[in-house]
Amino acid sequence: MKSPDHQGYDELAVGFALHALEPEDEAEFARHLPGCARCAAVVAETTEVMGAMAADLPQAEPSEALGARLREAVASTEQVHRPTAPPATDAPRAVPPAGPPAGPAVVPAPRRTRALSLALVAAAVAAVVGLGVWNVGLRSERAELSSTVAEQQDVVDALLSPDRVVLDPLGEDGRPVATVVPQDGDIEVVTHGLAVNDAASTTYVVWGVGDDGAEPLGTFDVERSQTELRTVGSGLTGLDDYPQYAISLEPGREAPSDPTEVVATGQVTS
Amino acid sequence: MGRVIMGVVTSPARRPDDAAGDADVMRRIRAGDRTAIDDLYARFRRPAFALARRILADDALAEDVLQEVFLSVWKEPAAFDRARGSVASWLLAVVHHKAVDSVRREESQRRRQAQAEDEMALDAPTATRDVEDDAWSRVVAEQVRTAMGALSAPQREALTLAYYGGYTQREVAALTGTPLGTVKTRMLAGMRRLKQELGGAGGAGALGAWPAEETQ
Repeated sequence: MKSPDHQGYDELAVGFALHALEPEDEAEFARHLPGCARCAAVVAETTEVMGAMAADLPQAEPSEALGARLREAVASTEQVHRPTAPPATDAPRAVPPAGPPAGPAVVPAPRRTRALSLALVAAAVAAVVGLGVWNVGLRSERAELSSTVAEQQDVVDALLSPDRVVLDPLGEDGRPVATVVPQDGDIEVVTHGLAVNDAASTTYVVWGVGDDGAEPLGTFDVERSQTELRTVGSGLTGLDDYPQYAISLEPGREAPSDPTEVVATGQVTS
Repeated sequence: MGRVIMGVVTSPARRPDDAAGDADVMRRIRAGDRTAIDDLYARFRRPAFALARRILADDALAEDVLQEVFLSVWKEPAAFDRARGSVASWLLAVVHHKAVDSVRREESQRRRQAQAEDEMALDAPTATRDVEDDAWSRVVAEQVRTAMGALSAPQREALTLAYYGGYTQREVAALTGTPLGTVKTRMLAGMRRLKQELGGAGGAGALGAWPAEETQ
Protein backbone atom coordinates (compact mmCIF):
# COMPACT_ATOMS: atom_id res chain seq x y z
CA MET A 1 0.00 0.00 0.00
CA LYS A 2 1.09 3.53 -0.55
CA SER A 3 1.86 5.85 2.29
CA PRO A 4 -1.34 7.67 3.18
CA ASP A 5 0.03 11.11 2.37
CA HIS A 6 0.76 10.23 -1.24
CA GLN A 7 -2.87 11.03 -1.96
CA GLY A 8 -1.81 14.68 -1.92
CA TYR A 9 0.82 14.05 -4.57
CA ASP A 10 -1.63 12.02 -6.66
CA GLU A 11 -3.89 15.06 -6.63
CA LEU A 12 -1.03 17.34 -7.60
CA ALA A 13 0.01 14.97 -10.39
CA VAL A 14 -3.47 15.10 -11.94
CA GLY A 15 -3.60 18.89 -11.63
CA PHE A 16 -0.13 19.15 -13.11
CA ALA A 17 -1.05 17.10 -16.16
CA LEU A 18 -4.18 19.23 -16.56
CA HIS A 19 -2.02 22.38 -16.35
CA ALA A 20 -4.39 23.53 -13.62
CA LEU A 21 -2.14 23.87 -10.57
CA GLU A 22 -1.68 27.04 -8.62
CA PRO A 23 1.91 28.34 -8.66
CA GLU A 24 2.73 27.20 -5.13
CA ASP A 25 1.45 23.71 -5.89
CA GLU A 26 3.29 23.69 -9.21
CA ALA A 27 6.54 24.56 -7.44
CA GLU A 28 6.00 21.90 -4.79
CA PHE A 29 5.18 19.26 -7.35
CA ALA A 30 8.12 20.21 -9.55
CA ARG A 31 10.38 19.52 -6.58
CA HIS A 32 8.76 16.17 -5.90
CA LEU A 33 8.26 14.75 -9.39
CA PRO A 34 11.85 14.00 -10.46
CA GLY A 35 12.31 11.38 -7.75
CA CYS A 36 8.88 9.78 -7.85
CA ALA A 37 8.09 7.03 -10.32
CA ARG A 38 4.52 6.82 -9.05
CA CYS A 39 3.82 10.45 -9.80
CA ALA A 40 5.47 10.05 -13.20
CA ALA A 41 3.01 7.24 -13.89
CA VAL A 42 0.01 9.24 -12.68
CA VAL A 43 0.98 12.17 -14.90
CA ALA A 44 1.41 9.83 -17.87
CA GLU A 45 -1.92 8.10 -17.30
CA THR A 46 -3.76 11.37 -16.81
CA THR A 47 -2.25 12.57 -20.08
CA GLU A 48 -3.61 9.49 -21.82
CA VAL A 49 -7.09 10.09 -20.43
CA MET A 50 -6.91 13.74 -21.49
CA GLY A 51 -6.08 12.54 -24.99
CA ALA A 52 -9.23 10.48 -24.96
CA MET A 53 -11.28 13.44 -23.71
CA ALA A 54 -10.14 15.35 -26.78
CA ALA A 55 -11.94 12.73 -28.87
CA ASP A 56 -15.31 13.96 -27.77
CA LEU A 57 -15.15 17.35 -29.42
CA PRO A 58 -16.70 18.72 -32.58
CA GLN A 59 -14.12 17.87 -35.20
CA ALA A 60 -13.11 20.84 -37.30
CA GLU A 61 -10.71 21.79 -40.06
CA PRO A 62 -8.25 24.60 -39.60
CA SER A 63 -7.92 26.92 -42.59
CA GLU A 64 -5.79 25.85 -45.52
CA ALA A 65 -3.65 28.90 -44.97
CA LEU A 66 -2.45 27.46 -41.69
CA GLY A 67 -0.82 24.50 -43.41
CA ALA A 68 1.06 26.83 -45.70
CA ARG A 69 2.02 29.12 -42.84
CA LEU A 70 3.39 26.18 -40.87
CA ARG A 71 5.36 24.86 -43.85
CA GLU A 72 6.92 28.28 -44.31
CA ALA A 73 7.86 28.54 -40.65
CA VAL A 74 9.37 25.06 -40.63
CA ALA A 75 11.38 25.84 -43.76
CA SER A 76 13.06 28.75 -42.04
CA THR A 77 13.56 27.16 -38.64
CA GLU A 78 16.50 25.04 -37.58
CA GLN A 79 16.12 22.19 -35.15
CA VAL A 80 17.50 22.50 -31.65
CA HIS A 81 20.09 19.91 -30.80
CA ARG A 82 20.55 20.08 -27.10
CA PRO A 83 23.97 19.30 -25.71
CA THR A 84 24.18 16.03 -23.82
CA ALA A 85 21.66 16.60 -21.09
CA PRO A 86 19.64 13.46 -20.71
CA PRO A 87 16.73 13.64 -18.30
CA ALA A 88 17.88 12.85 -14.80
CA THR A 89 15.06 10.41 -14.22
CA ASP A 90 12.35 8.75 -16.20
CA ALA A 91 9.92 11.41 -15.12
CA PRO A 92 7.53 12.12 -17.94
CA ARG A 93 7.53 15.28 -19.93
CA ALA A 94 4.05 14.87 -21.21
CA VAL A 95 3.48 18.59 -21.05
CA PRO A 96 5.99 21.41 -21.24
CA PRO A 97 7.45 21.01 -17.80
CA ALA A 98 8.37 23.30 -15.02
CA GLY A 99 11.79 22.10 -14.00
CA PRO A 100 12.67 21.67 -10.38
CA PRO A 101 13.13 25.07 -8.79
CA ALA A 102 16.65 26.38 -8.82
CA GLY A 103 18.52 26.65 -5.58
CA PRO A 104 19.59 30.00 -4.27
CA ALA A 105 22.36 30.15 -6.86
CA VAL A 106 22.81 33.55 -8.39
CA VAL A 107 24.35 32.33 -11.64
CA PRO A 108 22.98 28.94 -12.67
CA ALA A 109 23.30 27.59 -16.19
CA PRO A 110 21.68 30.22 -18.43
CA ARG A 111 19.41 27.95 -20.43
CA ARG A 112 18.04 26.29 -17.35
CA THR A 113 17.39 29.59 -15.64
CA ARG A 114 15.58 30.85 -18.68
CA ALA A 115 13.35 27.81 -19.01
CA LEU A 116 12.65 27.74 -15.32
CA SER A 117 11.90 31.42 -15.18
CA LEU A 118 9.48 31.15 -18.05
CA ALA A 119 7.67 28.30 -16.37
CA LEU A 120 7.39 30.18 -13.12
CA VAL A 121 6.36 33.36 -14.85
CA ALA A 122 3.61 31.37 -16.49
CA ALA A 123 2.65 30.07 -13.09
CA ALA A 124 2.61 33.59 -11.67
CA VAL A 125 0.45 34.75 -14.55
CA ALA A 126 -1.92 31.92 -13.85
CA ALA A 127 -2.10 33.03 -10.22
CA VAL A 128 -2.94 36.57 -11.22
CA VAL A 129 -5.62 35.43 -13.60
CA GLY A 130 -6.91 33.13 -10.90
CA LEU A 131 -7.26 36.06 -8.54
CA GLY A 132 -9.24 37.82 -11.22
CA VAL A 133 -11.90 35.21 -11.43
CA TRP A 134 -12.05 35.11 -7.68
CA ASN A 135 -12.65 38.85 -7.64
CA VAL A 136 -15.25 38.57 -10.35
CA GLY A 137 -17.01 36.02 -8.24
CA LEU A 138 -17.01 38.26 -5.21
CA ARG A 139 -17.60 41.69 -6.66
CA SER A 140 -19.84 42.30 -9.58
CA GLU A 141 -19.83 46.09 -9.76
CA ARG A 142 -18.80 47.05 -13.23
CA ALA A 143 -16.40 49.86 -12.33
CA GLU A 144 -14.59 47.76 -9.80
CA LEU A 145 -14.44 44.89 -12.18
CA SER A 146 -12.94 46.84 -15.03
CA SER A 147 -10.34 48.47 -12.80
CA THR A 148 -9.42 45.07 -11.37
CA VAL A 149 -9.06 43.67 -14.85
CA ALA A 150 -6.94 46.62 -15.96
CA GLU A 151 -4.60 46.18 -12.99
CA GLN A 152 -4.26 42.52 -13.72
CA GLN A 153 -3.53 43.22 -17.34
CA ASP A 154 -0.66 45.49 -16.30
CA VAL A 155 0.76 42.78 -14.08
CA VAL A 156 0.40 40.17 -16.79
CA ASP A 157 1.99 42.45 -19.37
CA ALA A 158 4.93 43.02 -17.04
CA LEU A 159 5.33 39.31 -16.32
CA LEU A 160 5.33 38.51 -20.02
CA SER A 161 7.60 41.37 -21.09
CA PRO A 162 10.61 40.13 -23.06
CA ASP A 163 12.75 42.52 -21.01
CA ARG A 164 11.79 41.10 -17.66
CA VAL A 165 14.35 39.88 -15.16
CA VAL A 166 13.18 37.28 -12.68
CA LEU A 167 14.71 37.62 -9.24
CA ASP A 168 15.49 34.56 -7.16
CA PRO A 169 15.66 34.83 -3.39
CA LEU A 170 18.89 34.28 -1.51
CA GLY A 171 19.05 31.37 0.88
CA GLU A 172 15.40 30.51 0.51
CA ASP A 173 13.64 27.67 -1.19
CA GLY A 174 14.51 29.01 -4.60
CA ARG A 175 11.16 30.26 -5.80
CA PRO A 176 11.41 33.59 -7.56
CA VAL A 177 9.97 36.36 -5.45
CA ALA A 178 9.94 39.25 -7.89
CA THR A 179 10.14 40.15 -11.55
CA VAL A 180 11.57 43.45 -12.67
CA VAL A 181 11.04 44.95 -16.10
CA PRO A 182 13.72 47.59 -16.61
CA GLN A 183 12.83 50.31 -19.08
CA ASP A 184 14.85 53.36 -19.91
CA GLY A 185 12.94 55.71 -17.64
CA ASP A 186 11.52 53.50 -14.92
CA ILE A 187 11.37 50.00 -13.62
CA GLU A 188 8.28 47.93 -13.13
CA VAL A 189 8.54 45.59 -10.17
CA VAL A 190 6.08 42.74 -9.81
CA THR A 191 6.35 41.12 -6.40
CA HIS A 192 5.06 37.61 -5.99
CA GLY A 193 6.31 36.37 -2.66
CA LEU A 194 8.41 39.13 -1.08
CA ALA A 195 7.63 39.56 2.60
CA VAL A 196 5.51 42.53 3.61
CA ASN A 197 7.80 45.22 5.03
CA ASP A 198 7.20 47.71 7.81
CA ALA A 199 6.60 50.81 5.72
CA ALA A 200 7.18 53.09 8.71
CA SER A 201 10.76 52.05 9.33
CA THR A 202 12.02 50.04 6.34
CA THR A 203 11.98 50.12 2.56
CA TYR A 204 12.81 47.80 -0.29
CA VAL A 205 15.39 49.10 -2.77
CA VAL A 206 15.92 47.99 -6.37
CA TRP A 207 19.60 47.95 -7.38
CA GLY A 208 21.23 47.85 -10.76
CA VAL A 209 24.41 45.79 -10.46
CA GLY A 210 27.26 46.39 -12.93
CA ASP A 211 31.02 46.40 -13.05
CA ASP A 212 31.18 49.44 -10.82
CA GLY A 213 29.08 47.92 -8.07
CA ALA A 214 25.46 48.42 -7.15
CA GLU A 215 23.47 51.58 -7.88
CA PRO A 216 20.17 52.23 -6.08
CA LEU A 217 17.44 52.73 -8.71
CA GLY A 218 14.35 53.24 -6.60
CA THR A 219 12.45 52.26 -3.48
CA PHE A 220 9.14 50.54 -2.88
CA ASP A 221 7.09 48.89 -0.13
CA VAL A 222 5.34 45.54 -0.17
CA GLU A 223 1.90 45.99 1.34
CA ARG A 224 0.46 42.56 0.87
CA SER A 225 1.71 39.11 0.07
CA GLN A 226 -0.32 38.78 -3.13
CA THR A 227 1.08 39.72 -6.49
CA GLU A 228 1.56 43.45 -6.83
CA LEU A 229 2.91 45.76 -9.50
CA ARG A 230 4.99 48.82 -8.59
CA THR A 231 6.69 51.36 -10.82
CA VAL A 232 9.90 52.76 -9.32
CA GLY A 233 12.71 55.10 -10.30
CA SER A 234 10.67 57.41 -12.49
CA GLY A 235 12.65 60.36 -13.74
CA LEU A 236 16.00 58.63 -14.04
CA THR A 237 17.39 57.29 -17.30
CA GLY A 238 19.53 54.34 -18.31
CA LEU A 239 17.77 52.04 -15.89
CA ASP A 240 17.86 49.21 -18.40
CA ASP A 241 21.65 49.16 -18.74
CA TYR A 242 22.57 46.67 -16.01
CA PRO A 243 23.45 43.00 -16.46
CA GLN A 244 22.04 42.14 -13.07
CA TYR A 245 19.40 43.44 -10.70
CA ALA A 246 18.94 42.98 -6.99
CA ILE A 247 16.44 43.87 -4.30
CA SER A 248 17.45 44.67 -0.73
CA LEU A 249 15.52 45.42 2.41
CA GLU A 250 16.87 48.54 4.11
CA PRO A 251 16.39 50.13 7.50
CA GLY A 252 15.00 53.65 7.21
CA ARG A 253 13.08 55.11 4.30
CA GLU A 254 15.96 56.13 2.02
CA ALA A 255 18.16 54.06 -0.24
CA PRO A 256 21.69 53.84 1.18
CA SER A 257 24.75 53.99 -1.09
CA ASP A 258 25.34 50.27 -0.72
CA PRO A 259 22.82 47.50 -0.08
CA THR A 260 22.57 46.26 3.49
CA GLU A 261 20.61 43.04 3.17
CA VAL A 262 20.14 41.72 -0.37
CA VAL A 263 17.05 39.51 -0.48
CA ALA A 264 16.87 38.62 -4.17
CA THR A 265 18.95 38.83 -7.32
CA GLY A 266 18.46 38.09 -10.97
CA GLN A 267 20.50 38.21 -14.17
CA VAL A 268 19.39 39.65 -17.47
CA THR A 269 19.08 36.53 -19.54
CA SER A 270 18.23 37.77 -23.00
CA MET B 1 -2.68 -3.69 -18.93
CA GLY B 2 -4.11 -4.83 -22.21
CA ARG B 3 -2.69 -3.18 -25.28
CA VAL B 4 -5.90 -3.19 -27.20
CA ILE B 5 -7.71 -1.45 -24.41
CA MET B 6 -4.96 1.12 -24.08
CA GLY B 7 -5.25 1.66 -27.80
CA VAL B 8 -8.68 3.07 -27.28
CA VAL B 9 -7.50 5.40 -24.57
CA THR B 10 -4.31 6.53 -26.22
CA SER B 11 -5.50 7.10 -29.75
CA PRO B 12 -8.06 9.83 -29.47
CA ALA B 13 -10.50 9.69 -32.35
CA ARG B 14 -8.04 7.60 -34.29
CA ARG B 15 -7.59 4.00 -35.17
CA PRO B 16 -5.31 1.94 -32.97
CA ASP B 17 -3.07 0.99 -35.90
CA ASP B 18 -2.24 4.65 -36.46
CA ALA B 19 0.14 4.58 -33.49
CA ALA B 20 2.96 2.85 -35.33
CA GLY B 21 2.68 5.34 -38.16
CA ASP B 22 2.76 8.23 -35.69
CA ALA B 23 5.96 6.92 -34.14
CA ASP B 24 7.48 6.58 -37.59
CA VAL B 25 6.62 10.20 -38.41
CA MET B 26 8.28 11.31 -35.17
CA ARG B 27 11.42 9.36 -36.11
CA ARG B 28 11.56 11.18 -39.45
CA ILE B 29 11.14 14.54 -37.73
CA ARG B 30 13.99 13.68 -35.39
CA ALA B 31 16.08 12.80 -38.41
CA GLY B 32 15.49 16.31 -39.77
CA ASP B 33 12.97 15.47 -42.49
CA ARG B 34 10.92 18.65 -42.98
CA THR B 35 8.21 16.88 -44.97
CA ALA B 36 7.48 14.74 -41.92
CA ILE B 37 5.97 17.76 -40.18
CA ASP B 38 3.44 17.93 -43.02
CA ASP B 39 2.55 14.33 -42.29
CA LEU B 40 2.26 14.94 -38.57
CA TYR B 41 0.07 17.96 -39.31
CA ALA B 42 -2.11 15.93 -41.65
CA ARG B 43 -2.58 13.30 -38.97
CA PHE B 44 -3.38 15.60 -36.07
CA ARG B 45 -4.61 18.93 -37.38
CA ARG B 46 -8.26 18.08 -36.82
CA PRO B 47 -8.19 16.81 -33.22
CA ALA B 48 -5.59 19.46 -32.34
CA PHE B 49 -7.72 22.23 -33.83
CA ALA B 50 -10.87 20.87 -32.22
CA LEU B 51 -9.21 20.96 -28.80
CA ALA B 52 -7.60 24.38 -29.20
CA ARG B 53 -10.77 26.07 -30.43
CA ARG B 54 -12.79 24.45 -27.69
CA ILE B 55 -10.49 25.99 -25.08
CA LEU B 56 -10.01 29.33 -26.82
CA ALA B 57 -13.43 29.81 -28.40
CA ASP B 58 -11.61 31.64 -31.17
CA ASP B 59 -10.51 30.08 -34.45
CA ALA B 60 -7.68 32.53 -35.13
CA LEU B 61 -6.13 32.05 -31.69
CA ALA B 62 -6.58 28.31 -32.05
CA GLU B 63 -4.68 28.36 -35.33
CA ASP B 64 -1.89 30.35 -33.68
CA VAL B 65 -1.65 27.65 -31.04
CA LEU B 66 -1.44 24.93 -33.67
CA GLN B 67 1.28 26.79 -35.49
CA GLU B 68 3.22 27.19 -32.24
CA VAL B 69 2.80 23.54 -31.29
CA PHE B 70 3.77 21.98 -34.61
CA LEU B 71 6.69 24.36 -35.01
CA SER B 72 7.88 23.48 -31.51
CA VAL B 73 7.68 19.78 -32.36
CA TRP B 74 9.85 20.44 -35.42
CA LYS B 75 12.35 22.44 -33.40
CA GLU B 76 12.61 20.03 -30.54
CA PRO B 77 11.25 16.57 -31.35
CA ALA B 78 13.33 15.16 -28.49
CA ALA B 79 10.68 16.55 -26.12
CA PHE B 80 8.59 13.54 -27.08
CA ASP B 81 11.33 11.14 -26.01
CA ARG B 82 10.97 12.38 -22.48
CA ALA B 83 7.27 11.61 -22.45
CA ARG B 84 5.62 8.29 -21.91
CA GLY B 85 2.74 7.01 -23.91
CA SER B 86 1.53 7.64 -27.41
CA VAL B 87 2.43 10.39 -29.83
CA ALA B 88 -1.25 11.30 -29.98
CA SER B 89 -1.78 11.88 -26.28
CA TRP B 90 1.54 13.69 -25.96
CA LEU B 91 0.81 16.02 -28.85
CA LEU B 92 -2.70 16.77 -27.64
CA ALA B 93 -1.33 17.45 -24.15
CA VAL B 94 1.05 20.00 -25.65
CA VAL B 95 -1.85 21.55 -27.57
CA HIS B 96 -3.87 21.66 -24.37
CA HIS B 97 -1.04 23.29 -22.44
CA LYS B 98 -0.38 25.97 -25.07
CA ALA B 99 -4.06 26.68 -25.59
CA VAL B 100 -4.57 27.10 -21.86
CA ASP B 101 -1.57 29.44 -21.71
CA SER B 102 -3.08 31.37 -24.58
CA VAL B 103 -6.54 31.64 -23.08
CA ARG B 104 -5.06 32.89 -19.83
CA ARG B 105 -3.12 35.52 -21.75
CA GLU B 106 -5.67 36.63 -24.27
CA GLU B 107 -9.14 36.39 -22.98
CA SER B 108 -10.79 39.03 -20.89
CA GLN B 109 -12.01 37.97 -17.51
CA ARG B 110 -15.53 38.93 -18.38
CA ARG B 111 -15.64 36.73 -21.40
CA ARG B 112 -14.17 33.86 -19.48
CA GLN B 113 -16.74 34.31 -16.78
CA ALA B 114 -19.54 34.16 -19.32
CA GLN B 115 -18.00 31.14 -20.93
CA ALA B 116 -17.64 29.41 -17.59
CA GLU B 117 -21.34 29.68 -17.10
CA ASP B 118 -21.81 28.09 -20.49
CA GLU B 119 -19.34 25.35 -19.61
CA MET B 120 -21.23 24.53 -16.49
CA ALA B 121 -24.56 24.66 -18.23
CA LEU B 122 -23.26 22.30 -20.86
CA ASP B 123 -21.62 20.13 -18.27
CA ALA B 124 -20.38 17.87 -21.02
CA PRO B 125 -18.89 18.31 -24.45
CA THR B 126 -21.22 19.18 -27.26
CA ALA B 127 -22.28 16.70 -29.87
CA THR B 128 -22.42 18.96 -32.90
CA ARG B 129 -20.00 18.28 -35.68
CA ASP B 130 -18.51 20.80 -38.05
CA VAL B 131 -17.14 18.12 -40.28
CA GLU B 132 -18.32 14.62 -40.91
CA ASP B 133 -16.79 12.15 -38.47
CA ASP B 134 -16.09 8.66 -39.55
CA ALA B 135 -17.56 5.71 -37.73
CA TRP B 136 -14.46 5.07 -35.70
CA SER B 137 -14.41 8.61 -34.33
CA ARG B 138 -18.03 8.31 -33.36
CA VAL B 139 -17.35 5.07 -31.50
CA VAL B 140 -14.48 6.62 -29.56
CA ALA B 141 -16.46 9.78 -28.81
CA GLU B 142 -19.34 7.67 -27.59
CA GLN B 143 -17.02 5.74 -25.26
CA VAL B 144 -15.67 8.96 -23.83
CA ARG B 145 -19.14 10.38 -23.37
CA THR B 146 -20.24 7.22 -21.61
CA ALA B 147 -17.19 7.40 -19.37
CA MET B 148 -17.87 11.05 -18.58
CA GLY B 149 -21.41 10.05 -17.75
CA ALA B 150 -20.11 7.63 -15.13
CA LEU B 151 -18.62 10.49 -13.13
CA SER B 152 -20.48 12.21 -10.34
CA ALA B 153 -21.79 15.60 -11.43
CA PRO B 154 -19.25 17.53 -9.32
CA GLN B 155 -16.38 15.42 -10.70
CA ARG B 156 -17.55 15.98 -14.25
CA GLU B 157 -17.93 19.68 -13.65
CA ALA B 158 -14.42 20.02 -12.16
CA LEU B 159 -12.73 18.09 -14.97
CA THR B 160 -14.78 19.81 -17.66
CA LEU B 161 -13.84 23.26 -16.39
CA ALA B 162 -10.17 22.33 -16.07
CA TYR B 163 -9.73 20.39 -19.29
CA TYR B 164 -12.13 21.97 -21.78
CA GLY B 165 -12.25 25.36 -20.08
CA GLY B 166 -8.58 25.74 -19.15
CA TYR B 167 -9.34 26.90 -15.62
CA THR B 168 -6.94 26.44 -12.72
CA GLN B 169 -7.96 24.54 -9.65
CA ARG B 170 -8.44 27.78 -7.73
CA GLU B 171 -10.58 29.18 -10.52
CA VAL B 172 -12.66 26.03 -10.54
CA ALA B 173 -13.06 26.34 -6.78
CA ALA B 174 -14.24 29.95 -7.13
CA LEU B 175 -16.56 29.20 -10.03
CA THR B 176 -18.21 26.28 -8.30
CA GLY B 177 -18.20 27.68 -4.77
CA THR B 178 -16.18 24.71 -3.54
CA PRO B 179 -13.11 24.59 -1.28
CA LEU B 180 -9.85 24.19 -3.21
CA GLY B 181 -9.00 20.95 -1.44
CA THR B 182 -12.29 19.42 -2.49
CA VAL B 183 -11.69 20.45 -6.11
CA LYS B 184 -8.30 18.72 -6.06
CA THR B 185 -9.81 15.55 -4.64
CA ARG B 186 -12.62 15.61 -7.19
CA MET B 187 -10.23 15.92 -10.09
CA LEU B 188 -8.18 12.96 -8.90
CA ALA B 189 -11.24 10.84 -8.19
CA GLY B 190 -12.76 11.80 -11.53
CA MET B 191 -9.57 10.96 -13.41
CA ARG B 192 -9.38 7.58 -11.67
CA ARG B 193 -12.93 6.85 -12.66
CA LEU B 194 -12.39 7.90 -16.26
CA LYS B 195 -9.29 5.76 -16.42
CA GLN B 196 -11.25 2.80 -15.15
CA GLU B 197 -14.08 3.41 -17.58
CA LEU B 198 -11.79 3.86 -20.56
CA GLY B 199 -9.06 1.42 -19.66
CA GLY B 200 -11.11 -1.52 -18.49
CA ALA B 201 -12.65 -2.54 -15.21
CA GLY B 202 -9.30 -3.77 -13.86
CA GLY B 203 -8.23 -0.21 -13.42
CA ALA B 204 -4.57 -1.16 -13.44
CA GLY B 205 -1.98 1.57 -13.31
CA ALA B 206 -0.98 4.26 -10.88
CA LEU B 207 -4.16 6.29 -11.28
CA GLY B 208 -6.54 3.42 -10.82
CA ALA B 209 -4.59 1.35 -8.34
CA TRP B 210 -6.60 2.58 -5.40
CA PRO B 211 -10.29 3.05 -5.04
CA ALA B 212 -11.47 6.47 -5.96
CA GLU B 213 -12.34 7.96 -2.63
CA GLU B 214 -14.24 11.13 -2.36
CA THR B 215 -15.75 12.42 0.79
CA GLN B 216 -18.70 13.99 -0.89
